[in-house]
Amino acid sequence: MAEVFEVTAEVEAQYGVESSPWVYEVTTTSVRMYARGIGSTDPIHYDVDFAKSQGFRSIVAPLGYVGTPAFHPETNDGTFGFPRRQGGARLNLPTKGLLDGGTETEYFDYICAGDTLVETSHLAEVRVRGNMVFVTNESVFKDQASGKVVAKQRLTSIHIG
Amino acid sequence: MAEQTYFEDVKEGQELPEIKIKPDKQQLVKFAAGSGDFNPLHFDEKFPMLKGMGIEDNIVHGRFKYAQVGRIVFAFAGYKGRVKKFGVSYRGMDLINTNVTVKGVVTAKRREGGENLVELDVWTENDEGKKTTPGTAVVALPSKG
Repeated sequence: MAEVFEVTAEVEAQYGVESSPWVYEVTTTSVRMYARGIGSTDPIHYDVDFAKSQGFRSIVAPLGYVGTPAFHPETNDGTFGFPRRQGGARLNLPTKGLLDGGTETEYFDYICAGDTLVETSHLAEVRVRGNMVFVTNESVFKDQASGKVVAKQRLTSIHIG
Repeated sequence: MAEQTYFEDVKEGQELPEIKIKPDKQQLVKFAAGSGDFNPLHFDEKFPMLKGMGIEDNIVHGRFKYAQVGRIVFAFAGYKGRVKKFGVSYRGMDLINTNVTVKGVVTAKRREGGENLVELDVWTENDEGKKTTPGTAVVALPSKG
């Protein structure tokens, strides 16, 4: 089967090109909403006093939740909420189908309610297998106050041609 | 709240306590609200794309299953441990109102850079025993010492 996309030098030149930054908010309400969404009953995600008694600064974000991108109808996707922003890679990918291929999160600190994170994203890898193009983007989340990296998340999407 | 696991007590091959769930539409709507992913694939069984895929019911979010894997990893780490990394691949679809079992096993343990690291294989499994969301995790555990 002919491949539907070619990883050219032009594509590879876009690896690491950083997007403009976007603010992700982590609030007590958003942490509780996410925890409810996954069916967790762990009080560390709901009870601020309990979380503090365990040494955390507030309730702890469940694993996989890195905050909610600040939303404005003019700048964010209405279905998924992600920001449509400047910078980053621009690829002419096949569009017959789109699947979620995988998620990986590396943590350098806990994420807790009250945190405000600043995220930038860049293209990390493009692989082609037949009519499928695997595109991996890496987001880097920094604490807005300290500038410290708290998490990196790699998201792989599968574009079908 | 799980009891704290200590590095000295962990053995290779040790299985993590599993979670069995059967996500229904209400659960997926709650997840849509919490995650911000309002793709109709997950709550509208008449969404045209489903028919095109030959499916007559809603698909469980991949990120929902990722979060379920996160639940058992977080519980294994305990409040005194620290999850360093965890990732999965979405290899198979799960439909709403079907059983999903979340499992994990210790594959290695080592001391490195002053940390007590434990490596895990983690996954979700359907009723046929197929691993629909396989992955790995690395957790730093406290020491009794």
